[in-house]
Amino acid sequence: MSSDTGRLGGPLNSIADGYNDRFGQVFGELNGLQFALIIGSLLVLLLVPVWAPLLGMSGLLRTLALASIWAILAMGWDIQSGYTGYISFGHAVLSGGAAYTTALLIGNVNPDLSLAVTLPLSVLAALTIGLVIAVPSLRLKGPYFSLVTFVAGLIFYQLTYAFSDYTGGELGVRVGRIDFTVGGFEITTFDPVMRYYVMLVPMLLIAVTLLYVARSNVGMIFVAIRENETAVSAAGIDTTKFKIWSFVLSSIPMGIGGWLLAHFYGTVNPLNFLLVDRSIELIAMAVVGGMSSILGPIGGAFLVIVLREEVLRIFGATGRWVMLWTLILLVLVFARDGLFRKLWHYLGRLGSRDGGEN
Amino acid sequence: MSLFRLDGLTKRFGGLVAVDDLSFEVDRGEIVGLIGPNGSGKSTVFNCTMGRYKVSDGSIHFDGSEITDYRTHEVVENGLSRVSQESNPITEMPVAANIKLFTLPNSVLAFRGGATDEEIYQYAARIDLEDKLEEMPDELPHADIRRLEIAKALATEPEMLLLDEPFAGMNQQEINDLVDKFEELREEGITMIVVDHNMGGLMKLADRIVVIHNGSKIAEGSPEEIAENEAVKRAYLGSTEAM
Repeated sequence: MSSDTGRLGGPLNSIADGYNDRFGQVFGELNGLQFALIIGSLLVLLLVPVWAPLLGMSGLLRTLALASIWAILAMGWDIQSGYTGYISFGHAVLSGGAAYTTALLIGNVNPDLSLAVTLPLSVLAALTIGLVIAVPSLRLKGPYFSLVTFVAGLIFYQLTYAFSDYTGGELGVRVGRIDFTVGGFEITTFDPVMRYYVMLVPMLLIAVTLLYVARSNVGMIFVAIRENETAVSAAGIDTTKFKIWSFVLSSIPMGIGGWLLAHFYGTVNPLNFLLVDRSIELIAMAVVGGMSSILGPIGGAFLVIVLREEVLRIFGATGRWVMLWTLILLVLVFARDGLFRKLWHYLGRLGSRDGGEN
Repeated sequence: MSLFRLDGLTKRFGGLVAVDDLSFEVDRGEIVGLIGPNGSGKSTVFNCTMGRYKVSDGSIHFDGSEITDYRTHEVVENGLSRVSQESNPITEMPVAANIKLFTLPNSVLAFRGGATDEEIYQYAARIDLEDKLEEMPDELPHADIRRLEIAKALATEPEMLLLDEPFAGMNQQEINDLVDKFEELREEGITMIVVDHNMGGLMKLADRIVVIHNGSKIAEGSPEEIAENEAVKRAYLGSTEAM
């Protein structure tokens, strides 16, 4: 094993160094093994339509498309809650708000509205809801802040029933699929392969953007707020402004994710979008992967969704949820820092030992 | 005109008057000692100045502007910085990053910027911490943690430093070294108010001493005058501490 990684480590490390020279300052430095993990995962994800059918697992296209959307939501939660330590238990309100904006526009205004209208308005709705929650509640600390976000989630859930003339109550509103043309090429999410890329590409772009933010001064200030808010104001930094900024940076991906999820299911209903379980699920994904790392929540989202949609189906419709939450509980107890953070640090140690030998 | 001025500063906590109609001024380049027995209101004066407590009455002026109602970060942006009594480094970040945090621009769009490695080294070197930049705060001995607090304050490029019990927990050698460092900072043009509950470190350092007791000023003068002052002796006699 060690001789294998030793032989591999050399060339991998030199490729990784090329990356480090160019991008290390911006996205953080990697060793050869970490670099291989990133590039390997990226290739696996980009080539799903090639390898999944060969392995007789075409159903994975749907599962991984869904996982991509949840990865967006988990990252969106992470840049706000994971980084600043102001833990939100109501983040599904942001994605749900975006999804319902699309639903109300398509259901009540014009069923043929293009995404050029619904997407920006949905993101704007998520942003507005985010600011309405953030501005008054961010002066609250600890459990009070979390409770406010939680209760906001309950209110939004009930609103969908209170205004069922517009929202369709429990049944929800049909929003259909995404159709658009790029350079004369027609893209439709009726096609499972195209749908997969329509979900995957935004996820990757959001990941790169949020990694850039997280590894910048802004991310450093967020972490410092989590660790010691008084020290941050003593540094001449307006913590209120930065906490609101974290909500802005979170609301935009939450809005995009909510919009994608609306079109993934084709129907927007309270159960899939606003039930408090959804808020807890995206926290669970971020924590299972390793919160305040951006990459961790992506891994967490893919792990949780693949378990829920593929592996745990053997336990039946309800049993899979019991098993899933039990597994999440075990991770919380035995690997609180997150599975992907543990893997990352393991590769970090392994890689640096190789570096020492060479 | 003075650089810093307290005008009838009053801070009440419910029925308790922690600072009572306190006025004094500090000139540019001066080092003023603010002493008083424990609980006399010294730290409350700093907390009011830094915008951590809301002032009940009176005003605070710094460098020509009234800063009474400024929030902490605005006070710091105006050129005042405090070295608190309690050390609060961010334990997840090494010494260098702890210093860098204090140089970051207060702008949500400033993704890059702040001090370069060389500048961070310089801030650390001003207080003899340049060999510890890679270490984590919880690996540092007490005196170095205190130095880190000073380096952080210096990194905000202050015109005036508020030093809250800077000599607490230090041995005589460390106190002497620190006194020399403060002298050097004064040479570089930094004005200082140093809070302490006894005169020890201040005799050599301070140009002038303000003594407060139960929130009110009871004496003001040169260190020699204060050492002979009867009211000051009585105030300290009433408490269990020695001057």
